[in-house]
Amino acid sequence: MLQFKLVLLGDSSVGKSSIVHRFVKDSFDEFRESTIGAAFLSQTVKLEKHQDVTIKFEIWDTAGQERYKSLAPMYYRNANAALVVYDVTQPDSLVKAQSWVEELKHKVGDQDLVICLVGNKLDLCETDASARQVDVEDAQAYSKEQKLLFHEVSAKTGAGVGQIFQEIGEHVYERKTAESAASAAAQSRKTLNVELQRPSTNDSTSCCA
Amino acid sequence: MDDIISVGRSNGKNGVRMVYLSSKSPSVPNLNEAFYGDFRRRISPERPQSHLSPTPLAEEQTNASLIDLYGDDENGKDENEPDDAEQEDGRNSELPVSPTLSPSVTTPAQGSNEEAPKDFSQYDRYGFKKQNAHITQEQYHEWWDEYSRYCIRRKRKWQDLLAKSGLALSDNDIPDRFPPRSEKLKRYVRKGIPAEWRGQAWWQFARGQEKLNRNKGVYDKLLASLNDRNDKVFSRDLEVIERDLHRTFPENIHFQKQPNDNEEPLMIQSLRRVLLAFSDYNPKIGYCQSMNFLAGLLLLFLDEEKTFWMLVIITSRYLPGVHNINLEGVNIDQGVLMLCVKEYLPDFWQRIVTKEQSRNYEFLYKLPPITLCTASWFMSCFVGIVPIETTLRIWDCLFYEESHVLFKMSLSILKICDQEVAAARRVMRNRVTNKDDSDIEIFQAIQSVPKKLLDPQTIFERVIFKRRLSLNNLNQEEIDRCRRYVSSQRLKLKNYADIMGDKPITKDSTKRDISIGPDFVENALSSEVYGFRRSLTTAHWNNSIKEKVRQIRRK
Repeated sequence: MLQFKLVLLGDSSVGKSSIVHRFVKDSFDEFRESTIGAAFLSQTVKLEKHQDVTIKFEIWDTAGQERYKSLAPMYYRNANAALVVYDVTQPDSLVKAQSWVEELKHKVGDQDLVICLVGNKLDLCETDASARQVDVEDAQAYSKEQKLLFHEVSAKTGAGVGQIFQEIGEHVYERKTAESAASAAAQSRKTLNVELQRPSTNDSTSCCA
Repeated sequence: MDDIISVGRSNGKNGVRMVYLSSKSPSVPNLNEAFYGDFRRRISPERPQSHLSPTPLAEEQTNASLIDLYGDDENGKDENEPDDAEQEDGRNSELPVSPTLSPSVTTPAQGSNEEAPKDFSQYDRYGFKKQNAHITQEQYHEWWDEYSRYCIRRKRKWQDLLAKSGLALSDNDIPDRFPPRSEKLKRYVRKGIPAEWRGQAWWQFARGQEKLNRNKGVYDKLLASLNDRNDKVFSRDLEVIERDLHRTFPENIHFQKQPNDNEEPLMIQSLRRVLLAFSDYNPKIGYCQSMNFLAGLLLLFLDEEKTFWMLVIITSRYLPGVHNINLEGVNIDQGVLMLCVKEYLPDFWQRIVTKEQSRNYEFLYKLPPITLCTASWFMSCFVGIVPIETTLRIWDCLFYEESHVLFKMSLSILKICDQEVAAARRVMRNRVTNKDDSDIEIFQAIQSVPKKLLDPQTIFERVIFKRRLSLNNLNQEEIDRCRRYVSSQRLKLKNYADIMGDKPITKDSTKRDISIGPDFVENALSSEVYGFRRSLTTAHWNNSIKEKVRQIRRK
């Protein structure tokens, strides 16, 4: 079984915890307590595309408030994937998401980290189309330009949530197998498992930022 | 007393409705009255025999049953309390059962024609849900049956203590004053303050009145000026506060909107005012997520103005810097906690860091991932981390003994986690081989173990005050010194990193990693590494010398 570390980032109250709970427990609470610091959850999935591959996601769900950003390097240290979440009814939250993408690219470097932009609260648009404040095309265009995966989901109905993790799983898996093939060719003695552990990066930000 | 601050003013900004109206105190539910409606239904003096009864209302156990219990349980003996003989029962009549329902109390049962009325048996005496993902209703009742009796016994002890100290109860059964600090009082506090007295006791122990006396009228002025604030920083705080109001104890009855009620719950209105006033009062902190839980819990026990000042005291005296914008106080306290784990739980320490990190004190600089979980224990002072009665017991000690209590609690919980992980491994026959699996195991234990600590006695009696753990040396003086040490070390490392420069990330980030490896840390810390160790051992040495001197003197 492969183990991938995944971190959730995004503005407060966009639904990060709700997405994780939908994925891990398949449940939804209309009123969920704000996350303080971080919460850790894990969930195992079988890849649809590669039937024999099972992935254990080690998920770090973080607090959304701006000031928690200073703790963020601790979360994304060694992460294989990041879900950057915004609320489709809150344009400001997309701006925040974009700044998270910037930060990840700057601090981690994008070559190893799979980033997925996720627009949440799709259900609000279904009941009232005018609730939508972020066009799907805009977010899609941005994702394409930044080479991000992109999904719109509803943690409330569950729509699209499973797909995010399937797609991320596939991407990380394919990336890792390609890498390990390359490193095997390079006569590396490292095993696949070792390779899956990303080395720590930019430590100077991890405590003093 | 009921100052109208500003009535129903609404503000178009962000579509946020700002209402700073009405008084400071009506939101405070009286614990004895909050479930009065329920109490009336079960006015029978008999203690409920079974909580698994199919009749929902007749046998429910809420705080009302606690009030009942105060009335009829006579034979309670506290095994652990050598002092003070049991007293006569004369005081049973003192127990207040208010004949009128306070208008300030939200009565959840009223006027709910459309939605099914709430089943109060599901809620505890503070309005929290008994059952959750980690605790079943049955488990709750099984524990509560025992613990409520314990609470009664303790309350009697407190009543005796007050009587002996010549302190009377006021009309509402709540003491105006508690006895001066003493070893005995400390022991009483550690065993739990009676729930109905908590607000008053916390207020006294935290010296809230002194703070308020020095700042008379400040809270009102803050509220009055809130409408004039519209700068960017404040509006940012305001936005986050608004989002968090309904995410603060959403399962608690006092924080819920009642069916057919268009008004926001009074509790939410109070919470908004306290948090907004605070963000104005202390711009260094503004609003930090987690303060909603601190203020929310305080509001269940104290009026709004007192809640405000308690929040000021917690964020400055007990948890300095923890809620500041840069959260450096969090990092410092987590560094201190890690030093404590290293010192007091060496086995667990080996599970969470590599030998290398441990040897060169790199962990002060690059905190172990476990601190991502433990940080919230400090930020919210365990609110939402452990079940409510356990939280309240921790708060009792926090206000009497200050913040080292939080470190002791954390160490106790980590010790239980360690035992659980070890036990699970024995069952699994050491199937866990790689570091990732073992990390996941620990993270999961750290999150689930505290949630199951339904019975406060689990950590209070068995772990925390046991000499075996030798946590007794960990006093406030030690923690304060430790905080200063970690703070200065982290500053040095930061300066060092600044001087070394922030090299741009290259593809080969491993190289960079090496450059901030052991040498880096050792260089930065140089002689100071051992300074702390010395100071720790000195502290122990000092304590034992002090104790010896005391013994000699006694002779």
